[in-house]
Amino acid sequence: MTTYTPTHVGTVTKYVVVESFDVTPADLAIRGYEISNGAMIKDTCFGLVVTGKPEEVERIVTGLRTMDPDHIFVKDRGFPPGDPRRCRANLGGARPGYHGMEFEMTVIPYITHGLEELKKRDATAVPAPKDPLDTSVLDVAILKKLIDAQES
Amino acid sequence: MTPPVRIAQISCGAEYSGVQHEIDDAAHEVNGEIFFPDIALKDIRRDFDAFGLDVRSPDLKLSIARAKALVEGRVEADAVFIATCFRCAEAAIVRNELRRYIHENSKLPVVSYSFTERTTSGTLLTRMEALTTIARRRALLARETQQGITLGLDSGSATTKAIIMKDNKIVGTGWTPTTEVLKSAHSVIETALAEAGMTMKDIQAIGTTGYGRFLVGKDINADLIQEELTVNSKGAVYLADRQHGPATVIDIGGMDNKAISVMDGIPGVFTMGGICAGASGRFLEMTAKRLGVDITELGPLSMKGFGGRVPMNSYCIVFGTQSLVNALAAGSTREDVAAAACHSVAEQVFEQQLQEVDIKEPVIMVGGTSLIEGLVFAMGELLQTKVVVPHHSQYIGAVGSALLASGFIREH
Amino acid sequence: MAKVFIYPATSLILSDLVSRHGHTPLSSAVAIRERVQTAGLESPPLQITPEEPKKGLKWAAVEVPSGVRGRMALYGPMLEECEAAIIINDADFAFGCMGCARTNELIKFLLRQKDVPKLDLNYPRNEEEGVQFVAAIKRFLAGLGSEK
Repeated sequence: MTTYTPTHVGTVTKYVVVESFDVTPADLAIRGYEISNGAMIKDTCFGLVVTGKPEEVERIVTGLRTMDPDHIFVKDRGFPPGDPRRCRANLGGARPGYHGMEFEMTVIPYITHGLEELKKRDATAVPAPKDPLDTSVLDVAILKKLIDAQES
Repeated sequence: MTPPVRIAQISCGAEYSGVQHEIDDAAHEVNGEIFFPDIALKDIRRDFDAFGLDVRSPDLKLSIARAKALVEGRVEADAVFIATCFRCAEAAIVRNELRRYIHENSKLPVVSYSFTERTTSGTLLTRMEALTTIARRRALLARETQQGITLGLDSGSATTKAIIMKDNKIVGTGWTPTTEVLKSAHSVIETALAEAGMTMKDIQAIGTTGYGRFLVGKDINADLIQEELTVNSKGAVYLADRQHGPATVIDIGGMDNKAISVMDGIPGVFTMGGICAGASGRFLEMTAKRLGVDITELGPLSMKGFGGRVPMNSYCIVFGTQSLVNALAAGSTREDVAAAACHSVAEQVFEQQLQEVDIKEPVIMVGGTSLIEGLVFAMGELLQTKVVVPHHSQYIGAVGSALLASGFIREH
Repeated sequence: MAKVFIYPATSLILSDLVSRHGHTPLSSAVAIRERVQTAGLESPPLQITPEEPKKGLKWAAVEVPSGVRGRMALYGPMLEECEAAIIINDADFAFGCMGCARTNELIKFLLRQKDVPKLDLNYPRNEEEGVQFVAAIKRFLAGLGSEK
């Protein structure tokens, strides 16, 4: 077995994803380069990949978020940018994680809406979402009402 | 250099078992290249629903969608490698169904495998080699008659065999238990040459197969060094004279067993394995030794017995031998014990491997163990068919090599 | 600032919302990064070597498939380390690190066994559910203690 020598030790990499009418991935990239101060920035079709020391990345990410806070989303990435082990060109197809992100991108507009609404509404006053663990069956009294409503 | 054979990987768990690079390495070694069929989320949703196998694991859903993309030609590939974790029931169902689906709906050669964290590229090499050969060398495998004078050598884990063929006929044979690989090889070649009345100068092309194929092939300057899955398939349908249409080839070897689903002499789906030596020729060898008979006498002996009278399950060679000893101590006859041993091996192969290929008649049994009539009988009973054992079946790899090697004569 | 295990551990949405409110999301990427940045034997693509399924024996027995144990080597330490968890229950399309249903069942079980604050949700399916989803997470995270 071959010995493995890691690169980019001590760095973190983050995806900065933008889903906005006002800010394009290109705008994000320009701003990113402006404030990068030596950190590595790679622009992609969905946003940026930022690599650097944790505090540098944190600073850049915070700076970028201010551009459109409700439409910019950030998550960690295990690999440095352009790593051949995860590159679509080398794998022949997207890494499996990509499809998970593809799925969440379909939900992101609702999250954005939530973030925007909560600036106007008090979060404590918003009703709790339905508990997914509560799988109770239809209450018999409600069922009877439904049947009666149908029959009348 | 020819471009690599594009092998589409459909899998679940390989990266997390730490064996993905073993798969990549095995493919690379035989000029293959692993890739993952590229599809989009909408394809996954649509194809998973359309396929109708409602599994929970997302990566298995992805596998199903990737298989559909291959069959429908949306992604191009030369061959398919399906791999999932050993002992995962959900994945085993998907692996089997996808293997069947791809085999029935496309011309792509498929091999399926269940790995553990201990799987190495060495284990996968023979399978990958067969996969790339089938994908790339269809012309070579299309050969139906032997021409000129050729030598085929099968350096197996238990025995070494040589065959000399001339104008589509076997003219010399050699057989010996494998001790030192090269020494055994040279000894069987000498025997075969003597029987044929020839010298090495008369030989126009050489083919080698079996575990020692690379070592021996290099030593005797072979024209064709080829794994035993494709070679044995060719040899089997050639000797059984079933070169056209479907066939199933079963080879219970000394170390591992092969079950190959063949169409027109070319393997479509195959499995190779044997988790434990209990389901191998070795167990029958041990049985013969314990019963005090030569392995050649085990077959006739077992035909006189009735296996049902002796409880035996040779899933493990140690426990198998234990039940054998117990049965003899309890007063069972040697005949019944011999029959039970044969049935046990046949049953293990049936349960562990034949489920992974589609059994289509004729079923051809080859390899040294095919000479043990009790084993052939037991297999026939399990499969409810008459099993074909061609002449020279114990020389199958050597015959296949000699046959395929004649394709190289012109190059001299 | 609390360490919050997110399920699915690959979630962009959860990772973002947790860090947005000043807490630390424990995600797949963090576990993979640890391996990618540690010297050892080469085992591309994820630097998960055959040793990892053996480490996974701490959480799953040897008869459990190697892919489950290898994944548990990633998540097990995080499950032990986490101080809270947010679980999306209908995460049916999280692949790769979250691609194995058996591992996912075990992760959820271990989280339920653990005495830490947990929030169970489904993905929002419309705008109003989006508001409820974000509000629930906001309230949950606020309850975990001081934001930075």
